[in-house]
Amino acid sequence: MNCKPLLTAALLCACSAAATAQEEPPIRIIKPADYAVPVSISGFQGEVESVLKFDLSVLGMAITAPDKADYLVSGKANGDVEGSLTQSGSSRPLWLRAYNGGTPRSLAHAFADDIAKEIRGTAPIFQTKIAFRLQQGASTEIAMSDYDGYHVTQLTHDGKLVDGPAWIPGGRGLLYTSWQKSTEAILEQDLATGARRVFANYPGANLSPAVSPDGQKVAMILSRNGSPNLWVCDLHGGGLLQLTRTREEDSCPCWSPDSREICFVCRAGRARMQIIGADGGPARPLRAAGVSANMTAPNWSPDGKWIAFTSGSVNFTLCVLSAEGGDAQSLVAGEDPCWAPNSRTIIFARRVNNKSILCLLDVPTKHVKDVRQISGSCSEPSWAR
Amino acid sequence: MKNVNLIGTILLSGALLAGMTGCHHRPPQVTEIPNVGPQPQPPGGNNNLTPGNPGQNPNQPQVTQEPIPLTNGPFTRLFEDPNHVENREKFKDDTIHFDFDSSVIKPSEEAKLQAVANYFKDNSNYEALIVEGNCDERGTEKYNLSLGERRALASREYLANLGVNPERIKTVTFGKDHPVDPGHDESAWKQNRRDEFILVTPK
Repeated sequence: MNCKPLLTAALLCACSAAATAQEEPPIRIIKPADYAVPVSISGFQGEVESVLKFDLSVLGMAITAPDKADYLVSGKANGDVEGSLTQSGSSRPLWLRAYNGGTPRSLAHAFADDIAKEIRGTAPIFQTKIAFRLQQGASTEIAMSDYDGYHVTQLTHDGKLVDGPAWIPGGRGLLYTSWQKSTEAILEQDLATGARRVFANYPGANLSPAVSPDGQKVAMILSRNGSPNLWVCDLHGGGLLQLTRTREEDSCPCWSPDSREICFVCRAGRARMQIIGADGGPARPLRAAGVSANMTAPNWSPDGKWIAFTSGSVNFTLCVLSAEGGDAQSLVAGEDPCWAPNSRTIIFARRVNNKSILCLLDVPTKHVKDVRQISGSCSEPSWAR
Repeated sequence: MKNVNLIGTILLSGALLAGMTGCHHRPPQVTEIPNVGPQPQPPGGNNNLTPGNPGQNPNQPQVTQEPIPLTNGPFTRLFEDPNHVENREKFKDDTIHFDFDSSVIKPSEEAKLQAVANYFKDNSNYEALIVEGNCDERGTEKYNLSLGERRALASREYLANLGVNPERIKTVTFGKDHPVDPGHDESAWKQNRRDEFILVTPK
């Protein structure tokens, strides 16, 4: 799963070692996050050019002509990809790098990751994976793909109902609720071997698994004690602990990046978000001002600063809120947000013509790009982190 | 240009390339699950659970009924027994409906639950009941899954109060994924916010 970033890492090491012998590079300034940096791309054609354009647009850059650009991307693709990044007005590039050993798509993604790191200062995301729920006809299945919707692999073929998947950190597997047998159970699927096992099949509901970022624990909704409440256990299924005992239903758990807290939805007249320690203790409300409609489907950014969520009941809006609480900011129409590893990009679902499609949102610039369209309805995306 | 020479120095090792290729082209395989049976309970069962604080909001409307735990008991096997079938017709007219975003049993629905309860008072111990909780399309997927389960549990608690052994009642939630009316207006939504009752009966 995570082999490809090695390509970039190896290149970066080689580059920085070689670069020390050279003159000082020009002064670089990372522009404000919400500035749509104009970038030109020249020398590339076909798939490599389209990948570069798509990837840089995802991070809110504006593809433009060289005379209007702040940064000039140039190079050539001839089996391998060679490319340089130059600041406007500079006579020499910030760097010149070569990429080989993969498909044109993967080489272009690796090049784009280096450009994004330089211009936006963000962690690489263009070689990462997503998993989601794929509805075709009456059945729903689990599928995964590249972050941009290419290379879709359908992971289940049960012809039954499933709910959206959750990654095990490191990308070795997924947890999801399946109605393969008449009642629902949480299954764990290993992506290397394809083996599946029952993770949780307690009496009553077994819903909404979320694996902690440290890979140690799983939060989920169980109704075995008579109410749909929040529970945690370790990734091997032991150490089961009931965290909430409300009579109204709890839902939608997600983890803080330090794996110590869980944000979830507790219905109190209208759905509201709460935060609770993973070892128990009292829950505290997450104060969200400026949003009147139901708040569900929270997702905590990997840098710990933000919680994205869905507001509304039929016309959904994506919102972000400081993890400390405060004023919520409405972003775009959509539901079920999930943060990318860069804590800047969000993947979400949007309804178009009676089906759901997956889209990428650059939070600071609010720029939206649809991922590659496939037949069927795609929803509940989860970004491998 | 000095930088051009860099290209030659940045060739990746053959081992790395081989590893990448192997990774990239191996599609995940899918295997059949042999059986979805009851999960082993944690050591000590329910009594071993560390109680967490409920963290209840004081403004929250409370469901006053005590929760009735779901357990694997003598009736559990009826739901898996190949000699039992699911009869969806028996209680078809007793499907109950809910207000938006609510799991409260409405007075208008009580007679239907009474009819289901009466059937179980008068009939053999070889039958059981599945309650399927459903929602309209308003609300996100995972939120509705929990709401659908809460609705199914509301019927189970109501029937238990009327004397039906709760061990004979299994709950299932389908969230918003099993609408009876695929429309996008209130006339469809009010049909979709419902509990259905399925009789599990000997063949």
